[in-house]
Amino acid sequence: MIRYALTRLGLLVLGLAVASALIFVSLRVLPGDVAQLIAGAEATPQQVAALRASLGLDVPLWQQYLDWVGGLLRGDLGTSLITGTSVVAEVVDKARVTVPLAAMSLTIALLIGIPLGVLSALGRRRVGGTVLSVGAQALAAVPVVWAGMMLVVVFAVWLGWLPPQGFPRAGWDDPGAALRALILPALTIGVVEGAMLLRFVRSATLQALGQDYVRTAAAKGLTRTRALLTHGLPNVGLSVITVLGLQIAGIIVGAVVIEQLFTLPGVGRMLVADVASRDLPKVQGELLALTGFVLVVGFVVDLVHRLVDPRQREAS
Amino acid sequence: MLRRAALATSALLIGAVLLTSCTGSNTATTPTGPANPDATLAVGLSLEPSNLDIRHTSGAALEQALIDNVYQGLVTRNGDDDNAIVAALATAWNISPDGLTYTFTLRDGVTFHDGSALTADDVVTSLQTAKDDATIQNSADLANVASIASPDASTVVITLAQPNIDFLFALTGRAGLIFKNGDTTNFQTAANGTGPFRVEAWNTGQSLTLARYDGYWGERAGVAEVVLDYIPDRSAAVNAAVNGDVDVALEIDPELQSQIEGTGNFTIESGLTTDKATLAFNNQRAPLTDQRVREALRLAIDHDALVQTVVAAQTLNGPIPPLDPGYEDLTGSISYNPDRARELLAEAGAENLSLTLTIPNVYPTSIPTFLVSSFADVGVTLKVNSVDFTTWLQDVYTNHDYDLSFVRHVEARDFGNWANPSYYFGYDNPQVQSLYAQSLATTDEQQSSDLLAEAARIVDDEDAADWLFLSAPRAAVSTKVANFPKNSLNVRLPLAGVTVSSE
Repeated sequence: MIRYALTRLGLLVLGLAVASALIFVSLRVLPGDVAQLIAGAEATPQQVAALRASLGLDVPLWQQYLDWVGGLLRGDLGTSLITGTSVVAEVVDKARVTVPLAAMSLTIALLIGIPLGVLSALGRRRVGGTVLSVGAQALAAVPVVWAGMMLVVVFAVWLGWLPPQGFPRAGWDDPGAALRALILPALTIGVVEGAMLLRFVRSATLQALGQDYVRTAAAKGLTRTRALLTHGLPNVGLSVITVLGLQIAGIIVGAVVIEQLFTLPGVGRMLVADVASRDLPKVQGELLALTGFVLVVGFVVDLVHRLVDPRQREAS
Repeated sequence: MLRRAALATSALLIGAVLLTSCTGSNTATTPTGPANPDATLAVGLSLEPSNLDIRHTSGAALEQALIDNVYQGLVTRNGDDDNAIVAALATAWNISPDGLTYTFTLRDGVTFHDGSALTADDVVTSLQTAKDDATIQNSADLANVASIASPDASTVVITLAQPNIDFLFALTGRAGLIFKNGDTTNFQTAANGTGPFRVEAWNTGQSLTLARYDGYWGERAGVAEVVLDYIPDRSAAVNAAVNGDVDVALEIDPELQSQIEGTGNFTIESGLTTDKATLAFNNQRAPLTDQRVREALRLAIDHDALVQTVVAAQTLNGPIPPLDPGYEDLTGSISYNPDRARELLAEAGAENLSLTLTIPNVYPTSIPTFLVSSFADVGVTLKVNSVDFTTWLQDVYTNHDYDLSFVRHVEARDFGNWANPSYYFGYDNPQVQSLYAQSLATTDEQQSSDLLAEAARIVDDEDAADWLFLSAPRAAVSTKVANFPKNSLNVRLPLAGVTVSSE
């Protein structure tokens, strides 16, 4: 187990190193630069060049990359060229919106996906199960933006129950308002992700139903449902753990889109704005933080999976 | 003198409105109760400044938020009075008959938000720095200044090398803003000005909060706090108004206007702008070097139909908008005629022409869509290259690498771009350059205006570009709000006089 954990940790570090190089290179492909944007549509080429130099953009790329990685090793994600604030501080500030949003979305996805997935498997020969399964197919295919707009129209515009956009200016000092502001965006992501999870849970449950031990338990006089609940579900749970990493990545991507739509001042919205203004040191810091988060989640999921699944433990 | 084209990514979408008649709403809001001095005014707008450093960072969003509210110059403009130049930190000024010497009397009792008193030295240093430091936005506006001095504590004298009738107007812009000498404020994230509001908080990606400055030299602001809520999504902005999250929503989507009107809590306001939606032709690139081709493209566009599509717009037939000196009504100088367009293209040997339009992705797709079908109708294939604004700046503005381009030039009095052959329009006409230079050099306003009008007619006759429309975005203003400004809100949003009633 220890050896497995160390190997897996090595992979995580390697993944981060590759990601940092990929992020750095791919951002440099974008046309235009921050100096041009700051100087604006009046500056002479000389002025833009002078600004570029003062921002350190005229240093060779390989050196910029090494400086950045050097900073990363000291725990410094870099500094925004536009506001001069540290990327860590900015990300931490915006994470106050994005992290609760992601957590709420994940909770909703689990609450939808797991029970309904099991139900639709159990009732697969009944109308209800079919409806659930087809409904999930349809929902999983819905673009997040469209789902969000529909929810806004119904719950915010028609019914007026929830705010249609924005985040309270007091932030979490007004926890009630902050939570209310996140309900619709989290529902939007949660329903779409939950529908995907539902389909996954359904097939995992169907697989479990066909397993020998469930059939044996059923033969001993348990109902199929009881047999599944006592013997099959632990295995379904294990399979769910493995897709959680993917789910969380999906939620992060969803958050970028949804924060735009709902004007939430989170990491995703900041990222989009920073790309537009070519604040590349900040963008690469943000992207690496997000990538790192997803990779670490995957790492933790794998370790947990290993710990709780007896078959995997024996294999090591 | 180079005038800044505030292609402001930030100003792109912002504007004021025209023709009160077209909205059918009365523009006089009648608040339902007495003004509440402790009120917060929330304004929804779309484009946020990238930082608060108004001296070094481009973008109209900065001017809109900070000039007149937080920072001031010696003079400012009154958008609701034909952009007349009015006193700010100077109480009076005198221009010598030769147009070279400007003598300003400074206002007494002005303090910065940090409490320190404004001195003549602050004024001289601010202007001298803006002139000498090329990294300061609009520094070129002061290039023609020979000297800046203060003979006594309440007087500042500026001497020009040549007369420049636009100089006073230039002082209403960024180059004329007055800062404290040796200020150590971190201007990227904070501010220290002399205006009626101070910057209270800036939540990036969300809002900029301004608080009433109690030490203000003039009449104190009518509300305790202003929150500029940056809401880029147009339907979210409308929802915010409907929901009561904002008291005013600027540049609302006309398609969604009825939702706001349906609440009964808002009036739709109208004003004027200098926001010229410009379809630029690369005058240096064949076949656009051929005037017949340019004219054909203009003839292929049904401007009246386009204005109906855009809704918040009116037609504009030349480079100078109604609010600027030198404006004349050029209606009829070009009118929709696809048959003539086809003839001209045939004459120019430009059948089966294929061109690319480079357009920043902040604009509604209805504009490129309209152009594609208009041009297809006369046998011109238009490819649309939708890019982000930074890419537009590099490809079009800096490298002049484009056929056709669309942006909204929001800035007032920017005709100088047509007299600048190295500008991205690539329009090089010595006669226009000479007329423009004369229009600046004269001290007679009427003569200056006539010369500009003559130059503008030439630019229009030569089809140097097409002015698709004059933007006239609409603002939804709560019935509780009084004295909200109307004109040119895309570049100036002076909020000191605005009040909000209790209920």
